[in-house]
Amino acid sequence: MVAKNMTQNNETPKLAQTAAINWRKTFGLREMGVYYALVMLIAVLAVATTYLGKSNYLSVMNLSNVVYQSSLIAIMAVAMTVVLISGNFDLSVASVAALSAVMLIGNADTIGYWPAVGLALAVGMSMGLLNGVIVQYVGINAFIVTLGTMTAVRGLVLIYTDGRSLSVRDPNVIETMRAFEGGKHDIYWLAIALGAVLALWGIYQLISARSKGQPLRPGYIGKLLSGLAMIFIAYASGGELILRNPVLFMGLFTAVVWSVLTYTNVGRRLYAVGGNPEAARLSGINVTRYKLMSFVLCSGAAAFAGVLFASRLRSINPAGLQGAELTVIAAAILGGTSLFGGAGSVIKTLAGALLLYSLTNGFNILNLGANYQGLIEGIVVVTAAAIYTVGGGVSRKS
Amino acid sequence: MEQSNPIMLLKSVAKTFPNGTIALRGVDLDVAQGKVHGLLGANGAGKSTLIKILSGSIKATGGTIIWRGQEVSWNTPKEANDIGIATVHQHIPLVPTLSVLENVFLGKDELWRKSKSIYAKYDALCEQVNYRIEPNVLVSELSIGARQMLAIIQALATGADLIVLDEPTASLAAEERELVYSVVRRLSKVENKAILFVSHFLDEVLSLTDQVTILRDGQAVLRAETSQLDEDTLAEAIVGKAIAKLEHEAEERESFVRGDDEPRLSIRNLRSEGKFASVDLEVAKGEVIGIAGLLGSGRSEFLHAIYGADPQAKGEVLLDGKLVPRSPGGSVEAGMGLVPEDRLEQGLVPDFEIWRNLTLPILDRVSAGGFFPIAKREFGLAVEAIKKLGIKADSPEILVSELSGGNAQKVTIARWLFTDVKVFLLDEPTAGIDIGAKTDILRLVRELAAEGRTVIIVSSEFEELLAVSDRILAMRDGTIVAERNVHETSEHDLLLLCSGEAAATSNEAYENA
Repeated sequence: MVAKNMTQNNETPKLAQTAAINWRKTFGLREMGVYYALVMLIAVLAVATTYLGKSNYLSVMNLSNVVYQSSLIAIMAVAMTVVLISGNFDLSVASVAALSAVMLIGNADTIGYWPAVGLALAVGMSMGLLNGVIVQYVGINAFIVTLGTMTAVRGLVLIYTDGRSLSVRDPNVIETMRAFEGGKHDIYWLAIALGAVLALWGIYQLISARSKGQPLRPGYIGKLLSGLAMIFIAYASGGELILRNPVLFMGLFTAVVWSVLTYTNVGRRLYAVGGNPEAARLSGINVTRYKLMSFVLCSGAAAFAGVLFASRLRSINPAGLQGAELTVIAAAILGGTSLFGGAGSVIKTLAGALLLYSLTNGFNILNLGANYQGLIEGIVVVTAAAIYTVGGGVSRKS
Repeated sequence: MEQSNPIMLLKSVAKTFPNGTIALRGVDLDVAQGKVHGLLGANGAGKSTLIKILSGSIKATGGTIIWRGQEVSWNTPKEANDIGIATVHQHIPLVPTLSVLENVFLGKDELWRKSKSIYAKYDALCEQVNYRIEPNVLVSELSIGARQMLAIIQALATGADLIVLDEPTASLAAEERELVYSVVRRLSKVENKAILFVSHFLDEVLSLTDQVTILRDGQAVLRAETSQLDEDTLAEAIVGKAIAKLEHEAEERESFVRGDDEPRLSIRNLRSEGKFASVDLEVAKGEVIGIAGLLGSGRSEFLHAIYGADPQAKGEVLLDGKLVPRSPGGSVEAGMGLVPEDRLEQGLVPDFEIWRNLTLPILDRVSAGGFFPIAKREFGLAVEAIKKLGIKADSPEILVSELSGGNAQKVTIARWLFTDVKVFLLDEPTAGIDIGAKTDILRLVRELAAEGRTVIIVSSEFEELLAVSDRILAMRDGTIVAERNVHETSEHDLLLLCSGEAAATSNEAYENA
């Protein structure tokens, strides 16, 4: 019966009209801007490096480096997106990551690596719980609460380290850290196989939609294009495509969060909670729990990023990761996440993080000097926000 | 004479939105100084679009506007103001953290926030409406009625000759409405302003206006002197067909006979400090309970407490003899559904389409394994809801923020229709919506009761309660002051119970006026 209703509706000319508008919206700046920007930036950098005779920007080696560098920030930014969707804000991520890193480095020698990782994650998540409880039960604005915890947790880091750098000495621990953080996988064949499956799936959907006369969906084209891109990257790598563990974790985490947000009740309710908390509450949704769990997830992800950070350096400076929270939030905003809750996509946040790191990387390759970097990054973030605001306004009016 | 020379004349003003939606097909409208012109129309008839054009927030795509004999056009609210048109919007855009005085002169370029001359100006404005609000009070401390008056004063402060009032009485209690009426009369008769009065209430349009224009499907279908009209003519012109009289049906309806069964809903010693006093109530299957009460009587608070949405409330609620957990989630689980008073603030997620709003409380039931929502199923439900309740929407993909009031309200009700909800709690389900949609919703209430569902409905329109309820509880100051069988009471009786002597006499005065 559902199917019958669907076809009936498809036959009305008015529905076709709205579908056509959706197409324009789907590929408009508001929806896809961050992807366009990323592609454009990469193209500009590729042309610039070739023209100036620098090492090729578009080499698989360099691109995978960019992804690797962005992985920690991206993991935090994905979790930040969840908090932003829920209608809250978390400034404390970088401090929590630093605290987690300190916990790991400070305890790994005595209690072993994995127990120390567990401790670091637990401490991180309890910070998230603390944030959430104060915001939800005391009712203080999240911006203020997390501004406070950002400072206080950084203070804890200083107290714990007594202001000095810590490092691990136990060779076993160092070995485990190296294995965990530096682990590599050759995914050449996997990428080709996955790319082929995606591309074929996209083609199949396109053809079957065409033959049944159903409207095309952006997802079909997306599958086809991403499949082709994967095959191309594998081809360009010349037989060895290396995936490092942090990138793997970033990919898995993003995929899981994206699936939950897109395909489950939990995701739908989270968007509702951010979009209109009172309506969500009166629909029987436990709003407090959703907002609280978002904080815990965010701090948990930050703690995990802290573990990766500590494992990469095998030592930690009490000022480590200072200021990273702003990069994290910038990535989410570049990805079009609303600061007022109810809207956002973790995939676009990922693209936002990659965009920021492509900029940094480009500056390094082109030897433009770090002095201009802050200025350009700031302009990019504000421009993106302007496009979202103006573009959003236009699409709403039309 | 003034009619022959109107201050503003619209000639076949049309509006087509870029997406092809035709909101206005060509509307003629004339407003004269010293007259109150009523503008009526069902939801989606084009009233809001017309008001937006007049206030300068959108531009017409066709037709001409003639102001004092000259063709004019404007692009911004500021330009409309400069010409002499001020609009008082339904959702009053005041700054709650500023004082009354600061709000009134918000658009003025005064260097100092408070000067002697500004107080004098404010006093003069208050004089004009014959109503005074303490100028240094913060707007957040004002009642809704006072805010409405403030919005009118604000409009006057722009020096406008034409004031557009968009449903100024929709959210007001009886006494507060009376105040607005007297101000409107004073402004038109004493101050010689032209007033365009938009309303859903036929009786107030009849008693207050001099002329009436009725919109239907983007066209003006009726333009007449109010003295030549009655409620039936108006109602017929608005909905395009004679609306059935629900009240007659109510009179013919048998008195509700309660069986010996266990009550569907038992409320035991339910109370909430500072909101309403202890209530005991038993409601049977298929019974409709009306709660009559004015604004601030604790009626909404009572509904929210039954639903478990008030954490301060104490007491027990039993559904079919089983204790309901005290949270909205628990109540939904047990089989209750609440349609809140403010559909935009409390009911709907503005960024969600119709279908995603519709399934929000019933996600578990449209999901595979209770966890993965199936969009096709949800979409199907939305199509069904659109057909069943006659929601005016081209597709379930439309955002609820783009729907008109009545249609949005239908979405908030529809979401409870696809489950076995046993107890419906409806808080002012017909506020601010047109007669057509109103009748649809009231009819639906009776249908639900006929299916054996229990309905508790709150309304400040007592005639509606009389039309649909079996039993009516009157609430005043957080206490249930009386319980009446529907056949043993009348609108007058209920008004007396809910507001005491004072309001009843004011109502008579209003009827005599």
